[in-house]
Amino acid sequence: MLKGTLGRYSSDELRDAFTFLLPLILFISIFILLPVMGTFLISTYREVTFLEKEFVFLENYLKLLSDGAFWQSLRFTLLFVLVSVPLEMVLGLAFALIINERIPFRGLLRTVLLIPWAVPLAVSARVWELIYNYNYGLANLLLLKMGITDEPVNWLGTELGAFIALVISDVWKTTPFVAIIFLAGLQAIPGEIYAQAQIDGANLFQRFFRITLPLLKPVAVVALLFRSVDALRVFDLVYVLTHGGPGGSTTSLSLYAYKHFLAGDFGYGSAVSVILFLIAFLLSILYVRASGFLSEVAR
Amino acid sequence: MSERFIKLLLLSIGSGFMVFFCLFPFLYMLLISLGENPTAVWKGTGFLTLDNYREVLQRESLHFIDYLRNSMVVSSVSALFSVLISSLSAYAVTRLSFPGRLFLLFFVLAVSLFPPISIVGYLFKLMSLLGLINTYSSLILPYISLNLPLSLWILTSYFSQIPLELDRAALVDGASRWRILFRIILPVALPGVFSAFLLSFIFSFNEFILALTLTTDYRARTVPVGIALFQGLHGETPWGTIMAASVITILPIVLLTVLFQKYIIGGLTRGAVKG
Repeated sequence: MLKGTLGRYSSDELRDAFTFLLPLILFISIFILLPVMGTFLISTYREVTFLEKEFVFLENYLKLLSDGAFWQSLRFTLLFVLVSVPLEMVLGLAFALIINERIPFRGLLRTVLLIPWAVPLAVSARVWELIYNYNYGLANLLLLKMGITDEPVNWLGTELGAFIALVISDVWKTTPFVAIIFLAGLQAIPGEIYAQAQIDGANLFQRFFRITLPLLKPVAVVALLFRSVDALRVFDLVYVLTHGGPGGSTTSLSLYAYKHFLAGDFGYGSAVSVILFLIAFLLSILYVRASGFLSEVAR
Repeated sequence: MSERFIKLLLLSIGSGFMVFFCLFPFLYMLLISLGENPTAVWKGTGFLTLDNYREVLQRESLHFIDYLRNSMVVSSVSALFSVLISSLSAYAVTRLSFPGRLFLLFFVLAVSLFPPISIVGYLFKLMSLLGLINTYSSLILPYISLNLPLSLWILTSYFSQIPLELDRAALVDGASRWRILFRIILPVALPGVFSAFLLSFIFSFNEFILALTLTTDYRARTVPVGIALFQGLHGETPWGTIMAASVITILPIVLLTVLFQKYIIGGLTRGAVKG
């Protein structure tokens, strides 16, 4: 991508580069990097609204170690990533295979697929909230009508029900994104490979497992890592759908930190945020390396 | 069964399922918004009424119109500035030699993956300090910054495909770099500029956690937060009203998606995969 430029470094070119980059650097530094550093700093203080601010170094982190609710939210967050991301990958690949074919209404199908991704999650989460409603939600209505269950399912009031409800809604929301990434990967596979394989007598499934899947691997790695980092920070969905309940069982790390911020406990909330930041950051490094590798290949 | 038949069968079942999977929540949303209560659609009484829409649009204490206006202003302004700022940077990255070009690109990529919760606590303090809580600026400033990485990646991808000969010719004619960017590069890369704008707009429109934290009422609160916090006066959730508000909210987004599907997909794939 960055093959040639208009020359070697010269002092006026460096000055221009700096001028052109300055607004971006300023915005990212002030509104993203500074707040991240601030969060790290605050996490070393006991800082609660209306109380005296006090430097406590690692005390907040030591408190986290023996905080059952923190471990519960860490466990929920990781479990949520481990269950929903693989489902999104499989379904996303299936959808990508469909919209990559030359079929009638392909443009329309692609548009339909984008819509769940494009609308605000907080808004669609309210529809899901109604779908899972115990008394008159669509989910229970269908389950009862079709005779799958005799009694309504308590979706949002039980730990397992709430977890499944969150996973289904998240898969619905993010599968389109995964599908679009896979679509880009599919379009990069030259058609001649398939034509040749067909001549050699490979059937539909052999072509998929022997050609498509192996060639999609780099794209799959990027999609997997991106979605994992994204799913780790889940907030909107749990905030609207379960409020972290029942009994705190679906409180994600983001929501757990937010609840402390809301209560005015900035020190402890920041410590929780830092833990999430570090987990996400480690995964991001892998992601950046994987996509760097990918653009290397694409060149 | 021939292979063609199997493929056709799989494609038909698959696309049927896909359409149903993606759209049924919206159909449900629409049906409930047209009923007096959430069971009206199945009973057939009190169905097909526009009362919920009238309520949402006319009852001022709901502030729905305010939320919608706030969202539109905040998202358009943020998208506009993030595209403008990132096009300056994309120009520098693709046209000028300076040390650390690749590092910059991958650094902003990493920045785009920071969990928003790790900035929101401090941003709240910063905005309080600046007296900006519950103003458009408290959202626009961070939104611009959060949109910059994807925008930069999309524009860098488009700019790098424009032949450098165009620049050289203009430089020889004595044009300044600003002139080259605004008169040559941007017009040629217009599809990329547009898809960066669209994606920035959609991201800002959908953003939740900052809007929840940095606004306090209808003067700056955006529509996702407004709808998430919608509660009835008497404990009973006013589902019809919420669904009517949701339908109105998603209309502009659905319209953008229908009209500009190609730009959105192009932007997403360039931003996320191709680099």
